[in-house]
Amino acid sequence: MIRYIVNRILQGIPLLFIISIILFVLMMNMGDPIATMGGRSITRSSDRVRLTRQLGLDQPVYVQYLYWLIGNDWAKIDLDGDGIKESNGTRRGILRGDFGTSLVNRGKPVTKVIGERLPNTLLLMVASEIIIILGSLLVGIYSALRQYSILDHTITALSFIGYSMPIFFIALLSMYLFAILFKRWGLPYLPTVGMFDPQVGKTTAQVLWHMVLPVFSISIISFAAYSRYIRSTMLEVMSQDYIRTAKSKGLPRREVVYVHALKNASLPIVTVVGLDLPLLLGGAVVTERIFAWPGMGRLFLDHVSRLDMPVVMGILLLIAVAVILFQIVTDIVYAWLDPRIRYD
Amino acid sequence: MKQKLFFVLVVTALVLTACGGGVATQAPVETEAPVATEAPATEAPATEPPAAEAKVATFIWTQEFDSLSPLYQGMWFSEITQQFWLCWAWQFNEKNEAFPYLLTELPSVENGGISEDGTQITMHLRDDIKWSDNEPLTSEDFKFTWEMFTDTKNTVSSAYPYDNITSIDTPDEQTVVINFEAPFSPWLANLWQGILPSHILRPVYDAEGTLDNAEWNLAPTVGCGPYVFDEWESGSFARFTTNPNYWGEPPKIDEIFVRFVPDDASQTAALVAGDADLGAFIPYSDIPQLKEAGMTLTTEPSGFNEGWFFRIDDKSHPAMHDLNVRKALAMAIDREAVNRDLLLGLTKVPASYWDSLPFYNDPPSENYPYDPEAANALLDEAGWVDSNSDGTRDKDGVELVLRYGTTTREIRQDLQAVAQQQLAEVGIGVEISNYDADLFFAGYGEGPAANGELDIMEWSDAPGFPDPDVYYWLCSEIATDENPAGSNWFFCDEELDALIQQQSTQMDANARQETISQINQMFHDNVYWVGMWQDPDVWAVGPRLTGVKFSGVTPFFNITEWDIAE
Repeated sequence: MIRYIVNRILQGIPLLFIISIILFVLMMNMGDPIATMGGRSITRSSDRVRLTRQLGLDQPVYVQYLYWLIGNDWAKIDLDGDGIKESNGTRRGILRGDFGTSLVNRGKPVTKVIGERLPNTLLLMVASEIIIILGSLLVGIYSALRQYSILDHTITALSFIGYSMPIFFIALLSMYLFAILFKRWGLPYLPTVGMFDPQVGKTTAQVLWHMVLPVFSISIISFAAYSRYIRSTMLEVMSQDYIRTAKSKGLPRREVVYVHALKNASLPIVTVVGLDLPLLLGGAVVTERIFAWPGMGRLFLDHVSRLDMPVVMGILLLIAVAVILFQIVTDIVYAWLDPRIRYD
Repeated sequence: MKQKLFFVLVVTALVLTACGGGVATQAPVETEAPVATEAPATEAPATEPPAAEAKVATFIWTQEFDSLSPLYQGMWFSEITQQFWLCWAWQFNEKNEAFPYLLTELPSVENGGISEDGTQITMHLRDDIKWSDNEPLTSEDFKFTWEMFTDTKNTVSSAYPYDNITSIDTPDEQTVVINFEAPFSPWLANLWQGILPSHILRPVYDAEGTLDNAEWNLAPTVGCGPYVFDEWESGSFARFTTNPNYWGEPPKIDEIFVRFVPDDASQTAALVAGDADLGAFIPYSDIPQLKEAGMTLTTEPSGFNEGWFFRIDDKSHPAMHDLNVRKALAMAIDREAVNRDLLLGLTKVPASYWDSLPFYNDPPSENYPYDPEAANALLDEAGWVDSNSDGTRDKDGVELVLRYGTTTREIRQDLQAVAQQQLAEVGIGVEISNYDADLFFAGYGEGPAANGELDIMEWSDAPGFPDPDVYYWLCSEIATDENPAGSNWFFCDEELDALIQQQSTQMDANARQETISQINQMFHDNVYWVGMWQDPDVWAVGPRLTGVKFSGVTPFFNITEWDIAE
């Protein structure tokens, strides 16, 4: 197993390299980061010339990629625009742990920019994912065991309604209902935006209170989808011969369902969850924006709209690494759930 | 065993998550000196809740700051925040008139502050101004600010207007003598907007050779305004508390809490729910709802007008060279209806690029009226007729189909749809296109506007408000292979070019007014620009706030007089 994991990680390195080239070239062709540096007016031509030179954007794409990868502290660059390369570069490149500095928050290291947002996203997304998985397991299993009951039909209907609603609609609707209308009606109400009330301060209770609506919005669609998925896999497993055998042996129903059936029904679900987990790092773009939650999704949107290449590349690479790692984790969980799977 | 492993994994994940939340509560950047706002990496309250009696005003910004340093700011929301914690040499009141702030009086020719030839400006600083760490604010800080803006080792957002200064003399701590190569008439609207603390930043520059990475840029330990910077949590909020060493009248509100809410609908919801006291850039469609919720809506002219910029050169459609066609374009669009229907009648059609500067829009320009019949007649007269009966006019085998591009902003796309329909009614075809702002405004070789791929370009822009200065139309700014950074994407008119250059060196206001009037007249007569709607700053003020006044230049010029009525 260890050899398998090491092999998979080694295979991931060239994959990351290829991904980085593709993303870098795509980013460099998306627009001009200098274009929005003039504030509300168009960037002045003298500033455009100077910034293009100072930020190294006048170099060919392959040189910029090389500098991003291995740094430019070994090369001379022209800072003052006199045509003479008189100064040493200062970048060390990502291979030496230097992801560069943000173009928007000039001088701020990319690792710091991302590091400040990642915990907020994990807080929101992990909480949502736990609710989604636990809730959908309960509802999915219940629906499967009581197929075609009134409650099963009700859950099915609600699932389809939840799944068919766009997330921005759910987010804005829930904000309007639970924050604005509840307050207007004199009922206990939820906050609209942010992580805490400045009059109270950033306490754990405040953060949890402010998480309610974003977590609800993120969870509802995935919850609907997962519960339908679990229902169908459970129904399929529950009709298998070995379940009938387990029942015939007189095993308690709880053991049959939660030990024998659920474990096997979990295999396809693990695949779906394994694919979803890396995306947690990317945050929930729409939800974070609407609820002003300071996470990775908003960070990505804010910086991609101003073509902050170092930050955007950092985020994309982080997600790429996470996808590769979580796929390995998924494979390991497969082996744990299904003894027939062997990687050695 | 497996269950135990699973349990351990779950607990570890939860602990990590909890720690993660705590880490996020740390101050975003380390400051140069230890500050009280740094928090431990736990979930304990990272930011001390304000005292019970503290007056906290919550503002919503729809864009987060890029930087707090004037050197690296390229965003309006960053710049206006300077009135809280940093200082300008002078500010502008609700009539957009300048008044001295750090100076004893504004320089003028009459008081000897401006030399007869206009190449030297002498400023006298107040003797009681100081930084928040009690260090005096002196002429050295002004000189240092100029040096840093023009130093090529700093990747400043814009070196303008400091790159017009040739030298600065500081004969004493309260006197700043600014020398220019040539008279620089737009000085009042552009100079000394954010002074840098030399005693804090010079050692950083000397040590690092640049201020690009100075921690002060993102967490300024020292300022000179009525508030001091306290904390900025990335993506979430920034907090400013009262400056105990402020040299002016102390502010009545104890804390300004700026929350970053990027979504317009969420901003409106937060304002309606009473979760914020002030919002900016309010969508016009939300104004009735906010008024109903008890908010006061204020529109403050800031010089900006939404308008059409025309390309008239060898890359444009040949019809763009024809004055009658440009006049027909202005007369074929019902701009009053656009303002009435798309903008709820809350804006007006600007007749001039200098619409919000009445002194310079004198005599006031008159709008071309909506008159499709007259537009048809002008096009017929110019020889653009529908000879092949395809519904679109043509001439010499060239169809009158214009390329009309703008950004993806919703209201602009609405206007495009209206314009396409109304222009079709007079036989002008329009190909519409939309781009993200960073692509639309990209330079020559990348951007569609700079490359000449559009005949009609639309955005909101202003002269150097409250100064009338313009420079886009200078012939030297034409973007070409040889001058790819050029910001003139329109045309070269030698006569206009001469007038624009002339006004930028005229220190006498009356003489300059005359020149701007001539430029204004040329814009109108030649239809070089067509205004669509005035684009003032729209503020929503909550019922708790009192004493609120705004300026279009320095919105928070009287922030010390703002109060909260409990």
